[in-house]
Amino acid sequence: MFTQFGATADTLSKASTLMFRIGTDAHLYDDPEDVNIAPLLDSKFDSEKCEALKRLLALIAQGFDVSNFFPQVVKNVASQSLEVKKLVYLYLLHYAEKRPNEALLSINSFQKDLGDTNPLVRAWALRTMAGIRLHVIAPLLLVAVGKCAKDPVVYVRKCAANALPKFHDLRLEEHSSTIEEIVGTLLSDISPGVIGAAASAFTSVCPNNYSLIGRKYRKLCEILPDVEEWGQIVLIGILLRYAIARGGLVKESIMFSLHGRESSHSEKDDSDDDFAFKNDVKYDSDLARTISRCYIEGPDEYLSRSSYANRISLEFNGAKFTSGKSNDEVKILLQCTSPLLWSNNSAVVVAAAGVHWIMAPREEVKRIVKPLLFLLRSSNTSKYVVLCNIQVFARAMPSLFSSHFEDFFVVSSDSYQIKALKLEILCSIATDSSISSIFKEFQDYIRDPDRRFAADAVAAIGLCAQQLPNMASTCLEGLLALTRQDFSTCDSESNNGEAGVLIQAIMSIKSIITQDPPLMKRKLYVHVVIQLVHSLDSIKVPAARATIIWMIGEYRNLGEIIPRILTIVLKYLAWSFTSEALETKLQILNTTVKVLSGAKGEEMLTFRKVGSYVIELAECDLNYDVRDRARFLKKLLQCSLDHGELELDTDCPPKKDLLQVLAECMFRGQAKQLSETMDYRVYLPGSLSQIVLHAAPGYEPLPKPCSIVDHELGTNVIRGVDTLSEKADGTDSSSGSSYEESASDYSSERSMTVSSGDAGSDENSSTREFDNTDPLIQLSDAGDANQNQNEVPQSTSTNLEELMSKRALETWLDEQPGLSNPSTSEQSQLRKSSARISIRDIGSRVKPKSYRLLDPANGNGLKVDYSFSPKISSISPLLVSVQVSFENCTDETISEVTLVDEESSKASDSSESSLSRKDVPTLVPMEEITSLEPGQTAKRIVYVCFHHHLLPLKLALYCNGKKLSVKMRPDIGYFVKPLPIDIEAFTDKESRLPGMFEYTRSFTFIDHIGELNKDNGNNALVKDNFLLVCESLALKMLSNANFSLVSVDMPISAKLDDVSGLCLRFSGEILSNSMPCLITITAEGKCSEPLNVSVKVNCEETVFGLNLLNRIVSFLS
Amino acid sequence: MLQCIFLLSDSGEVMLEKQLTGHKVDRSICAWFWDQVISQGDSFKQQSVIASPTHYLFQIVREGITFLACTQVEMPPLMGIEFLCRVADVLSDYLEGLNEDVIKDNFIIVYELLDEMIDNGFPLTTESNILREMIAPPNIVSKMLSVVTGSSSNVSDTLPGATASCVPWRTTDIKYANNEVYVDLVEEMDAIINRDGVLVKCEIYGEVQVNSHITGLPDLTLSFTNPSIMDDVRFHPCVRFRPWESHHILSFVPPDGLFKLMSYRVRKLKSTPIYVKPQITSDAGTCRINVMVGIRNDPAKIIDSITVQFQLPSCVLSADLTANHGAVTIFSNKTCTWSIDRIPKDRAPALSGTLMLETGLERLHVFPTFRVGFRIQGVALSGVQLDKLDLRVVPSRLYKGFRALTRSGLYEVRS
Repeated sequence: MFTQFGATADTLSKASTLMFRIGTDAHLYDDPEDVNIAPLLDSKFDSEKCEALKRLLALIAQGFDVSNFFPQVVKNVASQSLEVKKLVYLYLLHYAEKRPNEALLSINSFQKDLGDTNPLVRAWALRTMAGIRLHVIAPLLLVAVGKCAKDPVVYVRKCAANALPKFHDLRLEEHSSTIEEIVGTLLSDISPGVIGAAASAFTSVCPNNYSLIGRKYRKLCEILPDVEEWGQIVLIGILLRYAIARGGLVKESIMFSLHGRESSHSEKDDSDDDFAFKNDVKYDSDLARTISRCYIEGPDEYLSRSSYANRISLEFNGAKFTSGKSNDEVKILLQCTSPLLWSNNSAVVVAAAGVHWIMAPREEVKRIVKPLLFLLRSSNTSKYVVLCNIQVFARAMPSLFSSHFEDFFVVSSDSYQIKALKLEILCSIATDSSISSIFKEFQDYIRDPDRRFAADAVAAIGLCAQQLPNMASTCLEGLLALTRQDFSTCDSESNNGEAGVLIQAIMSIKSIITQDPPLMKRKLYVHVVIQLVHSLDSIKVPAARATIIWMIGEYRNLGEIIPRILTIVLKYLAWSFTSEALETKLQILNTTVKVLSGAKGEEMLTFRKVGSYVIELAECDLNYDVRDRARFLKKLLQCSLDHGELELDTDCPPKKDLLQVLAECMFRGQAKQLSETMDYRVYLPGSLSQIVLHAAPGYEPLPKPCSIVDHELGTNVIRGVDTLSEKADGTDSSSGSSYEESASDYSSERSMTVSSGDAGSDENSSTREFDNTDPLIQLSDAGDANQNQNEVPQSTSTNLEELMSKRALETWLDEQPGLSNPSTSEQSQLRKSSARISIRDIGSRVKPKSYRLLDPANGNGLKVDYSFSPKISSISPLLVSVQVSFENCTDETISEVTLVDEESSKASDSSESSLSRKDVPTLVPMEEITSLEPGQTAKRIVYVCFHHHLLPLKLALYCNGKKLSVKMRPDIGYFVKPLPIDIEAFTDKESRLPGMFEYTRSFTFIDHIGELNKDNGNNALVKDNFLLVCESLALKMLSNANFSLVSVDMPISAKLDDVSGLCLRFSGEILSNSMPCLITITAEGKCSEPLNVSVKVNCEETVFGLNLLNRIVSFLS
Repeated sequence: MLQCIFLLSDSGEVMLEKQLTGHKVDRSICAWFWDQVISQGDSFKQQSVIASPTHYLFQIVREGITFLACTQVEMPPLMGIEFLCRVADVLSDYLEGLNEDVIKDNFIIVYELLDEMIDNGFPLTTESNILREMIAPPNIVSKMLSVVTGSSSNVSDTLPGATASCVPWRTTDIKYANNEVYVDLVEEMDAIINRDGVLVKCEIYGEVQVNSHITGLPDLTLSFTNPSIMDDVRFHPCVRFRPWESHHILSFVPPDGLFKLMSYRVRKLKSTPIYVKPQITSDAGTCRINVMVGIRNDPAKIIDSITVQFQLPSCVLSADLTANHGAVTIFSNKTCTWSIDRIPKDRAPALSGTLMLETGLERLHVFPTFRVGFRIQGVALSGVQLDKLDLRVVPSRLYKGFRALTRSGLYEVRS
């Protein structure tokens, strides 16, 4: 009527939007390419650059590829304007992976920005740098992240935490320990904002590294309510997993009660709140067991165990239980998550509810009910997901929700999925008291315009009746009424929905009757079947008819009336056979045969006639299924069909018997309803997998209960180092510290014994009584030079005696032979504030690094590795010994493997010995390996004379007659041999190599941090951090160079964490000229942080010294 | 973690894509999605979690705009959904409403916001207060400025102080000449009346909305006279849990401006303020419909905006409906709206008419559900009452206000 006006209004609104659009970026979006973008990007005005970038973004938004502008855009990354920066970053992140080389151009600018005073600039630079994901910049990035993780500004630290998963995506295994370390640092941040982001990093970087959580668990629980919502979601999951891995499931929880029915029964008896449990008895313990096992094992693994019986019989071997009442960790977790049930974020509520569902004592689980139900009303978008979770809870424990059935009543605005879920939940929580209301609701639903839903409601009625047998008769009445009512309306119709409702109604009737062997309510059932038979005439839906016909066959003997009407019914069916649909025809055939096989007496004749008539009809049917079925049945029933005619046939009786038996087996037996299988999948509450009902990639079931044992986690408290004693009676008033080593029941190979005097020898056999008169803490060597390296302390008692008499703090150093006890008083005066210790058995832990000489891919399956061996060649002192291992990775035997040097292989013709040439690196020809079986590894020591050449040595490898050229890289660290000297000799030599023979360099050392963190988690042994640092330094050094450890000096200071003054000394002599080469490593800084380490090399041969120094620095840092 | 976010217009056009991680998601997923929407209709749009052949999708629809997020790995689905809701909230707050045009017009701001809100698939800054300081919302002044000067920057140079604060929802230094706090109780009544006219379910969903403009860092406490009647509660992050646990007192430092402090539910109410009685009889291909509306329990306030809405069954060919009060409109999708507004004193409003059924159909076998709308100003039907609102440090000029409103929520009468 008012179209004209409407049009005006329309134009008006258009005009007003046009007005509204002025001054926005509308024109850029609509027409991004109406100007030439390239010159704008090079413009010197920020505003023009901005415009160009906006145009590019518009193109990205619309799905065009504008990566060809990349080089020009990258240039602008250095812009001072934050807006330009932001836009460039947006562009960069979108394309960096595609254009890695050009993206590298931006790195310098990021590096600069990372040092900016504006935290926003730092944060953005870090985010973008991490976001461009280039492998090459990984080391830079790692440093940057490490730095930003300690930034004073919360926001920057948060961005650092977010950068870690990006870094992790690059899959750089070698940095993973450092990353985990940073995660640990961030998790102990004071700001809740950072902790949230760190939690997210934790789950993506190292979700199973519970050692990072261990000590902070309580703190994390307490800070949980203050963490921002997104972090809360993740952190709740982490804490739950930790609590289970640590303490196991809770004995009072649902998970446990679901386990063994017996236990829940026995508890029920002595429990006060009997009522709650009585309701619980209803729940299906099989189902419940499935759920709890699925949580822990993952349904795929669990359900794949083929036999059902097997599943039940398998007890929870691994599962251990803890008591929620006594376990503080569980208690605090529940306590801190319960206020989160009030959170405004539905994800947080569901996560918190999940924790309570799994961990809370049974009587307290109900506190999750109301918050969950409230979500259904208060966050509309989350409704579906929340319902999916409630569905699982309600199935396992219907009593939880049974009094809240009203919340699951369907409203018209619900989507079909939600309606269906609600119906299912209503079915499972229906009780005798609520069923009447629920039933009324269902009746309303049947009239819902959504017919699919109406059909579901009918099915739900059937389900309810099955669960609550008291309701069965009412349900049947209702359903029957429905079938009667429906056929009046849906006759003409092609309406699928109506048919669906009808089929469902009959299916429901069928399922109610079949579920319960009709003894109790025979009359009722007979009545129902007869009613249905009556309605056959009006019901036209094939599936419905087929079901009814099936019921006739099935209940042919029920009661007294049915057998009597059978003749008429059969005749009717035979009459209508030709006009039926396929499935009905098949069903008619079946029913006829069923009736026939059970028939007796005078009826037999009629039945037989009808039967053969039907089969004949069927044999001429158009459909081959029907024809086949007919032929099959005919054969089967030949005897009974043709009984009259072939009575006298001699062949018949045995045949008849067999077939009759067969037929009876097939048709006589009452069909048994298969018990409902439990094979449905359950995933953790709140997970994506639970919604999509398959394990999404990355889905992790709960950890195995108690999978982390105490000593791995240990709450490592440093107990040593804290007693600092001044000895008044000491001659030099030097201080000594007493370290106490507990738990040295550990095997000797790992324990480092730094034992103290005052503490006396309590549990530690290696702790010696120690006289107070000499407070000096002194390095000593218990191991006799020529004795077994791994000697246990007790066996060296003679030496011990000696040591004790000298009143030194002793420890054991097996690595260094021939070092006599150097405790002299002058020495002690020199080192007033440091303790000299030794690191026992470091020698056995030194593993020379192995390098790859030949990759199996290049070498036809031959793998050759080499490592420099600390052994000194017996042939010539000039030779470096290299251990080469040959491994056959193929399936065939490799023969004639040998390694010679390139030069000599050429020179072999001219019969000139390569060894004779002085300066060229040469290889002493090695013993040939005649054959190498598949999988076999052969080791050979080859001797090489490198002549101090640092360039790779070209070698020729012969195998199977073929020549392969390979390169061996010399390691300057092995151009020396250990020079076992004592500390005085060391200082003496050192003093003779001053000035130009002394070279120093410093760098930062971070390896020990990983070691420290690892140790925090895994070792109950109270280990000293200092020792760890020393150890990691020494180990690194000895694994990479052939030196001997002279001494380790540890600082004694009040600060627990300060390692400044730590000093390690190494000595060696150069192979070629036996000149001594001394190395001193000193460290400064805190042991939990990267250390400033300086390395000093004293060596007469300048070039060699410098090269060595560089090498040391490179492998240590 | 989320891998990509798409914004789709109501015609299925991809307006914007924001890749979040290194695993790029191709836009073809949107084409797949839209195909499903077309083939499965509205019910598909209501699915919040979809497992597509290649990705898991989370979607929400706000005012015709579909927000679609993709992931390939396990993550809490509600986190994705809640995040999309937050994005939608922030965007509609920034752009003063959501529609295809404003998103396209301000796509740069949308990009900048998304970039700030999510980093590598994990939410970064979602607090709208901080976002507003980082990225300036488009307003008349900035628009004019950009028209005049040709340039404007909406990206702030400094990091908002609230990022470091323990109350991130509040800007650090706010000053007002007049300090005001308004507390609104907004309640929605949900009811289901079944075919027998029995009130099956009646409850109130309520929100406490606070609009505060107070200088500095105020610390407020709000108490109710009868907190025990609230069955369920959910709080804004600013509410401290302890005082509520112990004394049922709301103690909080409010964000600046309007926000939802808490939501609650009061269940098992006994009566509704109005009644709606539909009667439908059908015979011989026609159907008589008769709906009566009246006031049942007078809440002593004016009930207005009364509407009755229902969907005619698909088997109805035509309808002829008249009302003795108010206007009846039948839309092309067979939705019928009867707007009554206020119930007149002299007579009870009634709607009556006949429906013609499809040929061959004798009687109606599906019945429409009537959705009722109303509004009552000045009263909270649940009976929740605010007791008092205190400030720890009372600023110089402070004005406190209180209002209440009840409207219908999911109020359904089945016939």
